[in-house]
Parts: sequence; structure tokens; C-alpha cells
Amino acid sequence: MQQGWLSNWLVKHEVVHRSLGFDHRGIETLQIKAGDWDSIAVILYVYGYNYLRSQCAYDVAPGGSLASVYHLTRIQYGIDNPEEVCIKVFAQKDNPRIPSVFWIWRSADFQERESYDMVGISYDNHPRLKRILMPESWIGWPLRKDYITPNFYEIQDAH
Amino acid sequence: MNLIEFPLLDQTSSNSVISTTPNDLSNWSRLSSLWPLLYGTSCCFIEFASLIGSRFDFDRYGLVPRSSPRQADLILTAGTVTMKMAPSLVRLYEQMPEPKYVIAMGACTITGGMFSTDSYSTVRGVDKLIPVDVYLPGCPPKPEAVIDALTKLRKKISREIVEDRTLSQNKNRCFTTSHKLYVRRSTHTGTYEQELLYQSPSTLDISSETFFKSKSSVPSYKLVN
Repeated sequence: MQQGWLSNWLVKHEVVHRSLGFDHRGIETLQIKAGDWDSIAVILYVYGYNYLRSQCAYDVAPGGSLASVYHLTRIQYGIDNPEEVCIKVFAQKDNPRIPSVFWIWRSADFQERESYDMVGISYDNHPRLKRILMPESWIGWPLRKDYITPNFYEIQDAH
Repeated sequence: MNLIEFPLLDQTSSNSVISTTPNDLSNWSRLSSLWPLLYGTSCCFIEFASLIGSRFDFDRYGLVPRSSPRQADLILTAGTVTMKMAPSLVRLYEQMPEPKYVIAMGACTITGGMFSTDSYSTVRGVDKLIPVDVYLPGCPPKPEAVIDALTKLRKKISREIVEDRTLSQNKNRCFTTSHKLYVRRSTHTGTYEQELLYQSPSTLDISSETFFKSKSSVPSYKLVN
């Protein structure tokens, strides 16, 4: 399988990563360890990925790990097809800690708060990591596979 | 009402007598000036908002949209009500003066609609929170359907007896329950301002020692479900 630019660069500098293949548009997806993500994010920003297009998170499988996904784009003037890359960072469910990229791409602020709210990934160094959609008193992470909906009177079926 | 068609102002009937009861008169005046609260949480309000415009023009029913619950008689719950919105809705309803009426507009506020299966936060029917007078189905209901619901509500008000209403109001209180959720300490650490050049005088007064102390005392996030 061919390797993308970033994968080659990471191999050259002996950074542990895994290529997860290419999507239907030929954009490379890389898996990066949570411990390395802090420094690799800076490297990507310095290289020119100045636009965090989206940040999202999901629960991979019941009993599995949580994933935080970053879609990065290199925005330049006069470029039709800008470079893009997709980064996936996995975290264990018992202690899901992933370094925040807020200080690199400020647009990650609300996105990471939503990921924290829905699947409970704790983003280290995020300035105000608290619930954004659910009430602040809510218990549990609603979009995890093992989430059990509380049997509140309001949430029971209407008769 | 058209002035020309108004029989009371007819020259020949100017001396005539109208017999009615105070109850009917009160009901008639009340149903002629139902002031709805501007309450909308999602797409149903788009339909409701088109009623305010000239095409459907619900001012002709005496409906003047109010932005304050203190001045409103009617609340159309236009849109999905979530667990986070529920306390606000109950509070808005409680702030409205008696007598007050509720139209549950749209499928979401009747049963939870398309969110009634497998949703962790949608209230399944707004009648679990506040007493509903008219259920208005649709997803979203057409403006004509809203006018139909208003007509039905006006019929209901016209048949009302004041004593019954006050009795039912005392019994039919809105539902409040304690969910035994505990309010967690805010995880706001305030480090947003660290990078800014301007610092407010209050933060400047704090010595660096106490600042770091307070930073280290920030609780770690509870991560276990």
C-alpha cells in the first residue's frame, strides 16, 4: 500500500503511528497515539495545516476504545485542491485522556467540549472543559455504547 | 370585524338590549384577546412565525405575540422540549398570569415525535410538564392547522365556567419532580485570560502564589460513567 507524505515523514523520524488507509477521495487517515498527539499536532500546524475542518468523537465498539477524529486542511491562496489529512486518536474507556488541540486550532473549543459531553473524552489542557449540550448536572456520557438511559418520568413513553 | 357589518352600530338597532351573563362576557372578551407567548425551540416555530405575517395574519383573532410571559395568556410549545429546556418551560409557564392556556404544537411536544424512540434527553410529550389544553398534531403543523387549534381553544374558552377553571387550576398543577442529580462543580479554570495582554484589576491583585494554589485545587474530572 502506498504511503502518504505525513506517514513517510513520521517513519523517517521514528514516530509510532499507523496508517488506516485512504478514504474514497484518497485522503490519508492516520492513527496516532494519544501521548504523541500533542507534538504531532504542532508539527502539522507548522507544516501548514492551518484549518481544523472538523473534530468529532465516537465510541468504536462495545467494550472497545473511544476515538477522537480530526480533519485537517491546508488552506492557501490560489489552490484548488488543498492538502487534507485525517487523524484518529484512540483512548481507553477507563481513562480517556487526549491532549487538547485548542491552543493550536482555536476552533476546537466547542467541538472538544461536545466530544467531552457526549462520549466523555477528557481533553487535557482545554481551558473550560464542561458540558455544552447536556445539563451540567447530567450523569454519564450519552453517546457511549454502554450508556443506559435513566428512567426519568419525562423520558418514559407517552401514553 | 368589519365596521359596516357590525349590527350594534346599525342606526335602527341602536336602542336594542343585549342580554348575556358576566361569565359569557368574560369568556368572550378573554377568547378575543388571546396573547400568545413567543416560544419556539425548533422548526415548529417557523410555521408559527408565518402566522404572525400578513398571509395568515393571526392578529385578526386578537392574538398579539408577547415576548414576556407576564403578559401572555397562551403558550404554543413550538418545538422539541429537551430535559435541559424543561425547567425553563415550566418556569415560563409558572410566570404566566392566570388564566393560561397551552397548545402542544407538533408531534415532538405531544409524544416526543421522531425523538420518542432511543433518545436520552427528549421529554416525551410536554403534558408531562405542564397541563395541555389542545393537542395540535403535525410535523410541523401547517399554519392553517394552528388556526384550527386556536378555533378549538376559543370554543373551549367560550364554554368555560370561571369556578371550574379555578378549581382545575388548583388541582392540575404542573409536574415537578426531583431527579436526585447532583450539581457538579464547574470545571471552568479561567485559563482563557492567561494569554490576553489585558488583565482585569481583580486578577492582578491576586499574588501568584495563591493563583497557583487555586489552580492545583481544581478537581480532576470524573471520567467513569
